[in-house]
Amino acid sequence: MTSTSAGTAPSRDLVLGIVRKDHVQRYSTVVVLVLIFLIFAATVDRFLQPQNLLNIAQQISILTIVGVGLTFGFAAREMDLSVGFAVGLAGILVPLLLTKDVALPLALLAGIGAGLVIGGVNAALVTIVGIPSLIATLATASILFGISFILTGGRAIYGGLPEAYLWLGQGRVGGVPVLAILMLIAVIVAWFVMERTVFGRYIYAVGGNRKAAELSGINVRGYRIAALVVCAVFATVAGMLLASRLGSGQPNAGERYLLDGLATVFIGMTMLRPGTATVVGTFFGALFIGIINNGLNLLGMDTYIQSIVKGIIILTAVAVVSRTTKLNLL
Amino acid sequence: MAEMETCLTDITMQFPGTRALDRVSVTFRVDEVHGLIGENGAGKSTLVNILGGSLPPTSGSIAIGGESVRLKSPRDALLRGIAHVSQEGSLVAGLSGAENILLGAEPRRAGVIAAGKLRNDAAALVKRWFPQVVINLAEPVASLPVADRKVIEIVRALRGDIRLLILDEPTATLPAREKEQLWSIIRSLPRQSVGVILISHFLSEIKALSDRITVLRDGRHVVTEAAGRLSESQLVDLMLRRSGESGKSKEQAAAAARAEGAVALSVKGWRAGRLQVPQFHIRAGEIVGLIGLTGSGHFGFARSLYNPAGVHYESCEVGGRAVALHRARTMRDMGVALVPDHRMENALIGEWELRENLAMVHPQHAVLTTGVLSRRREESEAQRIMRLLNVKAHSSAQQLNTLSGGNKQKISIGKWLYGAGNRYKVMIFIEPTEGVDVGAKAEIYAEMRRLAGLGVAILIASSDLIEIETMADRVIPFVNQAAGPELTRAQFSESAFITAMSGESA
Repeated sequence: MTSTSAGTAPSRDLVLGIVRKDHVQRYSTVVVLVLIFLIFAATVDRFLQPQNLLNIAQQISILTIVGVGLTFGFAAREMDLSVGFAVGLAGILVPLLLTKDVALPLALLAGIGAGLVIGGVNAALVTIVGIPSLIATLATASILFGISFILTGGRAIYGGLPEAYLWLGQGRVGGVPVLAILMLIAVIVAWFVMERTVFGRYIYAVGGNRKAAELSGINVRGYRIAALVVCAVFATVAGMLLASRLGSGQPNAGERYLLDGLATVFIGMTMLRPGTATVVGTFFGALFIGIINNGLNLLGMDTYIQSIVKGIIILTAVAVVSRTTKLNLL
Repeated sequence: MAEMETCLTDITMQFPGTRALDRVSVTFRVDEVHGLIGENGAGKSTLVNILGGSLPPTSGSIAIGGESVRLKSPRDALLRGIAHVSQEGSLVAGLSGAENILLGAEPRRAGVIAAGKLRNDAAALVKRWFPQVVINLAEPVASLPVADRKVIEIVRALRGDIRLLILDEPTATLPAREKEQLWSIIRSLPRQSVGVILISHFLSEIKALSDRITVLRDGRHVVTEAAGRLSESQLVDLMLRRSGESGKSKEQAAAAARAEGAVALSVKGWRAGRLQVPQFHIRAGEIVGLIGLTGSGHFGFARSLYNPAGVHYESCEVGGRAVALHRARTMRDMGVALVPDHRMENALIGEWELRENLAMVHPQHAVLTTGVLSRRREESEAQRIMRLLNVKAHSSAQQLNTLSGGNKQKISIGKWLYGAGNRYKVMIFIEPTEGVDVGAKAEIYAEMRRLAGLGVAILIASSDLIEIETMADRVIPFVNQAAGPELTRAQFSESAFITAMSGESA
């Protein structure tokens, strides 16, 4: 029993019409993903093997963590273009500290601290100075890139990384990659915060209608700051895990996570709540990209083709989002 | 003669939930200034938007010079000779008068804008239309007097082959001494075969400038008559619906009973920009109306009470407690609520479900001790509010966008009732029934009265004078950014309101 009103609903047909249209919008991306999965399953030999599916999980976990961070930003209608280099910076800062014999917990805390600082600077530029996040974070991205190279002199950091650290990115628990477990924890926690707490509700309100949020007495500035800080912290966590998986700190390794991360969010925005970034949507976006990359890999396509396919997917997703809802990022 | 006429026949405009125009027929000529008057919501803007090509009518036909046309866009209307100069102004502030006049039609030499020719052409245009006007076309328009900016806009509108010029409140923001110039310009147009449709709140202006006057009321055509045959008071009578007299005395008694509550909100020495209010207070259970012409400060004052960017004050007390840090959040926490105008921009999130919109201000209501937002609790509170306000929807999970204007407004009010208990001492409403159909209007009024009965102080800023007359216990008119002498219920009449709003002595 969902009917609430003493009066009659506007018009039965119309209501049904809305519901149907709604469902098409909400779930068509999932349908496409299932279709792609089935096509790969039917055409690619090793695709369905459990080992390969676990590989996919491992491959998308770092991307998912970046994407989930971006989701907080997008939900508050803030775009963070510095996540790629935030991943990169944390991915050399932590190995660098570890090779200098800093204790592992301390090094990991330093990585998270870097996220707080990056997010804090981004947020200050956006909410205090008043620069649109798209532009402010583009500039901080450039600064982070420079810092990464100064820290390493442009060289990778090899060797001397403790086992416990490498276990995070390479280890398995009962055959399941640790990374995949960490990803699931991140997704579940983020989903819970966004969908089941007042904090998440306010973040969505700030992104949904800033003026209305302000006039409802919501601390708009505070939640914009929070969104950008969460975004940067997720990126640096992803960076620490990335260096662990690679077994080395590579100053360039984070770069691709900006575009891929944005792609996961855009794909996610086509579903569930069309036009709004959601944690579950982003997770599906990462799965989408992971499955396609993996399938194309197994088919022997080189990375250039993958890059083109990815570009087309992003364009399609953004086109769907901006045609069905108002996509307002600046 | 037919080739000089623009005929609207049986124009109807149906919006979701409201019929803005109902079979309106009017003819506009090129040799006249045609005054168009009516209350807010009477359909004036809708009518000129249809004529200006920005709104396709639901039904009805338009004929220009005897030829039936469909105006699909403002550009289309321009090509047919109809130009619309809106109230807000559409000049590019940083460009000079000349550049604004020829915006989009700059003379070029070898692909480059020919600056000298542009200045000369613009000056020639001004001289052709208004030889008596002296205006600085080289300065950025931002630095020009308001009247000069209006002239520049008008000249730009006249750039094409125009037969009909729509002027929407052209003098609303003008200081009195600048009005004369604009008046003479408006009068000169019909002599040059450009008809003018003049929309203005100032009846004296309409009377002085118009050859004929059309009155609209509730989306219907009331009369079109030569200006000389109608007095100002007759115009007022024609604009206003004469009804609702019977319920009045009962309301008066109720109002008297309410007027003795404790002071819920009081401010002293309130300044916001140019706005000045030396003293204002509202008592618990009282309904106070704020009225004024566009830009006179009644909306600004109501808004500034809640969201005081740039406000200075000597004192501000809510329920006897001084407000220290004055901003939206503080006011909310002290017990002041705002139901703003333009609900889709200022209050609601269209893509959200009704439940989420209702829970926007107090989501904490549905938080369990574990910190988790309980859907079930949220759902039941949302249902309670929807029943209380009789929101017509099939479920609380429906998207807000799918509701009619009246139901959206109920959600905008419901936001402040959801999970609020008795925490609000003052509720400020700005244009509470903007774009709301008659049935929902009555329900919203009933809700305001119920709240007042519970001891909430209700402040209504509205341009709907009938609304103010039916609802308010006392009225404060605003003239030119200042609060005028207050009107008590015994003095209420729409003509008294209009007199007070125009700042003329009664």
